[in-house]
Parts: sequence; C-alpha cells; structure tokens
Amino acid sequence: METVLFYLFGALTLATAVLCVTSRNAVVAAVWLIASLASSAGLFALLSAPLLAILQILVYAGAIMVLFLFVIMMLQGPELPQERRRRPLPRLLLLALPPAAGVVIALAWAARLGLIPLAPYDPARAGTMARVADVLLGRHLLAFELVSVILLVAIIGALALGRREEERPWR
Amino acid sequence: MAVTLTHYLVLATALFLTGAVAVLVRRNALVMFMGVEIMLNAVNIVFAAYSRQLGDLDGHVFVLMNLAVAAAEAAIGLAILVEIFRLRRSVDVDEFKTLME
Repeated sequence: METVLFYLFGALTLATAVLCVTSRNAVVAAVWLIASLASSAGLFALLSAPLLAILQILVYAGAIMVLFLFVIMMLQGPELPQERRRRPLPRLLLLALPPAAGVVIALAWAARLGLIPLAPYDPARAGTMARVADVLLGRHLLAFELVSVILLVAIIGALALGRREEERPWR
Repeated sequence: MAVTLTHYLVLATALFLTGAVAVLVRRNALVMFMGVEIMLNAVNIVFAAYSRQLGDLDGHVFVLMNLAVAAAEAAIGLAILVEIFRLRRSVDVDEFKTLME
C-alpha cells in the first residue's frame, strides 16, 4: 500500500513539476506547480509528517501560489512573446550539460549507497502538531524567533518596494 | 519492493534538477521563481525523509523554517519583479542585462 502511494504521489509530483517547467504559459505553469506541491504533501503524509502535509497545502500550495498567480496576472498576458522563438540547439545542449552531470552523479551516488531501508512507521515518533510544537518551541525557540524577524523584514521590504517612486522611504 | 530512503532521495534529486533546469533554461523570470520553489520543495522532501529515517523531529522544524523563508523569498522577489516590470515593461531575464535604470 505504502509502495503504491509512494509511486503515485512521486510520479504525480515529478510529472507536474516537469509540466510546470515546460509549459509556455506562466499561468498554466503556476497551476501545474500547485498540483506538484499538493501531491508532494502526500509524500509528507507518507513520511509520517501530517503537520507538514497540512502546512504544505495551506501555506505553499495555498498562500504562496496565490501570491504568484496575482503577480502573474498583474504583470503580463499569459505568454511571453520572446519565449516562442526557440534557442539554438548548441546552446540548449550546453544548458542541458549541468543537469545531465547532476543525474550521473546522483545515480552513481545512489548505486554506491545501495537501497537504505526506511525506518519502520512508528506512531510514537510521527510528526504530529503537538510533537513538532514541542521541538519547535523548545530546542529551536531561537530559530523560530529569528524566522519571525525574517518574515517581518520581508513584509517591510515588500511594502517599501511597493510604494510609488516619490514616496520611497530612502528618497 | 518496499519503499526505501534511496527512493525518496532519488525522487528529490530529480525534482531538484527539474527546478534547476527551469532556472537555467527559462527566460520568464516568473517561471524561474517557480523553479526555485520546486528546488526548495525537493529539499523539504529530503529533510522529511531523513527525519523519518533518524526518528527525530528536527528535520520537520527545518522544513517549517524553509516554508517561512520560501514565503519571504517569494514576497520580496515578486515585489522586485513588479518594480522591474514598472521600469522595463517586461519579465524577460534576457533584457535585464544591466542593473542600472
């Protein structure tokens, strides 16, 4: 059962990610990315991380992607005219080199490691909300506070960038 | 065959490379951002897989931090992109050859 679900969600995640990368239309790409992020929530659930699965859908596939869609629809028509003309083949091949090298290295490394069996499912160690909160607000409290500072900086930065030219704080 | 840690690592590598290809090949800055999100998601899967493997929840905390940083990155990056679009009327990275106005 777990195997079937892993291959289902894994194939969905990867296939929709590839569709996102290859689609010419930015809105379509964003919708495929939402599908990819949502199906990777299934992988999180399989990895006994229910809290992460929920947050992945709420925050990632929900909030962040809505921001993306807003900006896409604000900035451009669905398609970028320049992307219709193709790049010359030698340049495409050159661009394909680093990912191809990455694939070779990853496969060689996986073959060296062999198949490491996953630790069996243990309900006492699943990442439920209470347990993750214990770790997050206990041992990692400082990191938690620092992340809130990062979010504050991001909010202020985005607000400052969003203002009109003559109202910029640094002018 | 049971699912192993290696399965998750290989899947995450493939996802990461997909995102890297988007950043390298696409000209549309918005789709390049989506490539970055795909890469972050691949890293999150590795964190969750190792967290399950090692049986402690520090990896989950890392994923939460990653989510927050991804949100901050998306907000700031898209705000900068909107600003560039105001100046240049384009989101084509080939046209951003200079950082001058």
